[in-house]
Amino acid sequence: MEAMAMMPYQQEQTNHIERPIQHRFSPYDFNGGTVLAIAGEDFAVIASDTRLMTGFSILARDVPKTTQYTTNTVVGSCGFHGDVLTLTKVIQTRLKMFTYLHQKEMDTSSVAAMLSTVLYYRRFFPYYVYNIVAGIDTEGKGCVYSFDPVGSYERETYRAGGSASSMLQPLLDNQIGMKNQEGAKQVPLAKAKAVALVKDVFTSAAERDIHTGDAVCIHVITKQGTTKETYPLRRD
Amino acid sequence: MTERYSFSLTTFSPSGKLVQIEYALAAVGAGAPSVGIKATNGVVLATEKKQKSVLYDEHSIHKVEPITKNIGIVYSGMGPDYRVLSRRARKLAEQYKRVYNEQIPTAQLVQRVAAVMQEFTQSGGVRPFGVSLLMAGWDEDEGKPYLYQCDPSGAYFAWKATAMGKNHVNGKTFLEKRYSESLELEDAVHTAILALKESFEGQMTEDNIEIGICNATGFRRLEPSEVKDYLASVS
Amino acid sequence: MSILAYNGAAIIAMKGKDCVAIAADRRFGVQAQTVSMDFDKVFEMGPHLFVGLPGLATDVQTISQRLKFRLNLYELRENRRIKPQTFMSMVSNLLYERRFGPYFVEPVIAGLDSKTNQPYIASMDLIGCPMITDDFVVSGTCSEQMYGMCESLWEPDLSPDDLFETISQALMNAFDRDALSGWGGVVYIIEKDKVTKKLLKTRMD
Repeated sequence: MEAMAMMPYQQEQTNHIERPIQHRFSPYDFNGGTVLAIAGEDFAVIASDTRLMTGFSILARDVPKTTQYTTNTVVGSCGFHGDVLTLTKVIQTRLKMFTYLHQKEMDTSSVAAMLSTVLYYRRFFPYYVYNIVAGIDTEGKGCVYSFDPVGSYERETYRAGGSASSMLQPLLDNQIGMKNQEGAKQVPLAKAKAVALVKDVFTSAAERDIHTGDAVCIHVITKQGTTKETYPLRRD
Repeated sequence: MTERYSFSLTTFSPSGKLVQIEYALAAVGAGAPSVGIKATNGVVLATEKKQKSVLYDEHSIHKVEPITKNIGIVYSGMGPDYRVLSRRARKLAEQYKRVYNEQIPTAQLVQRVAAVMQEFTQSGGVRPFGVSLLMAGWDEDEGKPYLYQCDPSGAYFAWKATAMGKNHVNGKTFLEKRYSESLELEDAVHTAILALKESFEGQMTEDNIEIGICNATGFRRLEPSEVKDYLASVS
Repeated sequence: MSILAYNGAAIIAMKGKDCVAIAADRRFGVQAQTVSMDFDKVFEMGPHLFVGLPGLATDVQTISQRLKFRLNLYELRENRRIKPQTFMSMVSNLLYERRFGPYFVEPVIAGLDSKTNQPYIASMDLIGCPMITDDFVVSGTCSEQMYGMCESLWEPDLSPDDLFETISQALMNAFDRDALSGWGGVVYIIEKDKVTKKLLKTRMD
């Protein structure tokens, strides 16, 4: 179709001459989804919505984009769901190999470093996946690492990723980063407040972003392990 | 080519008059009488509609016409010219609505119709309109009634009450005596009928006069049955 | 890159209790290069009526002038102040006249009705399709960010002071995540008998 539209007008008139039909395959799709992670003093919260969609159709309403990798590492991945699944499988295999070899679970910071390597390996045919890793670091502090699809990553205290990231990120800047608040002091974030904030911002995102909705799946990670909670969002 | 040498027919006479306009006013003065009265809560327009023959179907042609939801007009003078103007008035009203998404205020419509009438006194290839209009409106914004008269020259006046057409001098004298500031619409309709009666020849019936009223609910032409009731209560 | 995002802008209008607010950033840039930090994008169209014009800077100024021209003619012709709704139709009409070669602005209108003092806000696209809401409207290069902020911070019946705080926070945090807008802000709080203009000091990067 596109090739035809670009044909000059005169040629289009002599279009009755049969030309070979061209089919184009796109190796990527976009399945929506939003992930959000916040690092606290001794905990981390990571959440994602559970909607899976393509174009204007909803494929599923109960697919969280978060995966538990180790006892205290959870990764949120969204973008093209096919790549999400493949990447998750690759990482989990590598983690298993690591455990066999070293007789221990991988640290969160190492999971992040390895993920970066795995992503960069496909630098010229990337996994179309936005990742955020949340966990507890070796000192027992909450940590969040955010990635681009080709493996550039950094450690942060909070990060939103995926389709509604641009709606959530400024709010996190304001509410957690205390940006643009004159004379406000940085107080350690309470776990309950972090979870409440996550529910709040996802409700707001579901209001405006058609790719985000149905429910939000919230993981709270501490040294003891992780707990999971699901909170409903609007389903339209 | 003809357009290039098409001069206006309305030209000044040596004494500084535009006689074409005076002729137009004469056509109005010879036309059927019509009156308009502004009351506290509305306006009434009334006009004589005598037919030349009993064979005319008098209810299929109207002299009182609605222009918008809350503006209506009537005329004295030449019927065909009136239809040109009512079409233009409706178009102007809709154009206003198209731009501002708001009913045209009566004063605005009057101004714009008057501008059209003026144009026909100065343009090439045309003659002035042989009609004077009475325009009655209710302004939603201010919650007030309005009554305007529009002449062939493009001049317009706001009236409390007025008469036009044949015998308009008598009509006005009558209204001057009968008008009061506290007049309500029902009484105004009666007064309007009485004003028409001043010069009416023969029996006045619901078939040979036409009445339009305008109030907060909008403008409408009275049904012959309603006119009949008013006539009964007047006599 | 879209012509609408050539110069960059961020504008929000919000309703409060018996008041409205309109806020804009102050940057004028050419793509990534910032040229000035005192650029007006909000224009006074009457004592209680403001219009914000995000988009191509040349069109912003042209539209503001042509709107003022039409508005002055209207107010002289009709000898009365324009209602915000009527003004909105006027803007819409002006933009639709260029349906097939549009001005690259997506206006935001905020005002109080000249008679009833009812708050009124509206926004429209570059060819004049209006959107009238009861809460807030946003327009500019960081509209997603502004939606995110407004959706979380706004609540009904805010007092003028709270409304100022809400709209300022919404604007500043939104444009801090946009490279094309920011560099200071301006907020107008419109109340029945007073209009307050406040300049926001923000990070300048």
